[in-house]
Amino acid sequence: MSGLAQLLSSHGISHDFIIKATFYSIAGLTLLFALLVVLSRNIFHVAIYLAMALIGIACVYLYLDTEFLAIVQVLIYVGAIVTLFIFTVMLTADIDTGPMRGMIRRVSVSALVSLAIFFILTNVITMTAWKDVPPAEAPVSLAQLGKSLMTDYALPFEVISLISLAALIGAIVIGKAEKR
Amino acid sequence: MIPQSHFLLLGAALFSIGLFGVFTRRNAIGILMSIELILNAANINLITFSKFSGSTDGSGQIFALFVIAIAAASAVVGLCLVISIYRNSKTILVNKINLMKW
Repeated sequence: MSGLAQLLSSHGISHDFIIKATFYSIAGLTLLFALLVVLSRNIFHVAIYLAMALIGIACVYLYLDTEFLAIVQVLIYVGAIVTLFIFTVMLTADIDTGPMRGMIRRVSVSALVSLAIFFILTNVITMTAWKDVPPAEAPVSLAQLGKSLMTDYALPFEVISLISLAALIGAIVIGKAEKR
Repeated sequence: MIPQSHFLLLGAALFSIGLFGVFTRRNAIGILMSIELILNAANINLITFSKFSGSTDGSGQIFALFVIAIAAASAVVGLCLVISIYRNSKTILVNKINLMKW
């Protein structure tokens, strides 16, 4: 790493600049893929774009010092949920969903509402005085995460396992073919 | 370093995009995918606040983990419902599914 950093700094490129450049390009790509998720017409392509957007979000997690969550994001979201989406797309028809009657009005009203919410959120975020430098404490280690998951958050953890079991059984019951 | 507000702006933009998708998609699978985008925006906010408030017990990360687990469970049940609806009415376009509507 130091060799590369020395090479770049000899060309007048600072470490901070590289961090910023990569973050903003990753954020831009994530937003681009998210837009493609809602705008693309072919639902199979949408699943692929969703996978790309989720990988971009995993990269954003790396900038927040949460390596474990980035790994979990790639494993569970990209590995399991997107695969599940693709399976469902393959099991159902209507891959290419054309426009319907009155769609233009609906799209314009939806865009208006979404943009209004975005502008409200943007105003609130830019008007608030956030701390722009994180505290100097070391990032939370995986051991610390596991400890608080088993002590402070033991009850929510058990509830989550119960919900997973309920989802498993519910999926089997709902998805089971009925006997004719 | 990247300022905190830029992470929050990214989350807000992702949320709005996902909301637009929920409003405009006709395909039930597309609606579920947009909901995943919204949940990810919430996760980005949780982790950002956790990092910048200097919490040492990782509570923000743990809540994000719970959100991911709930999202996986909801995706499983939702997609199962989609397949079940498709088996009964041969379509998953939400404007054509009107079995329980007047």
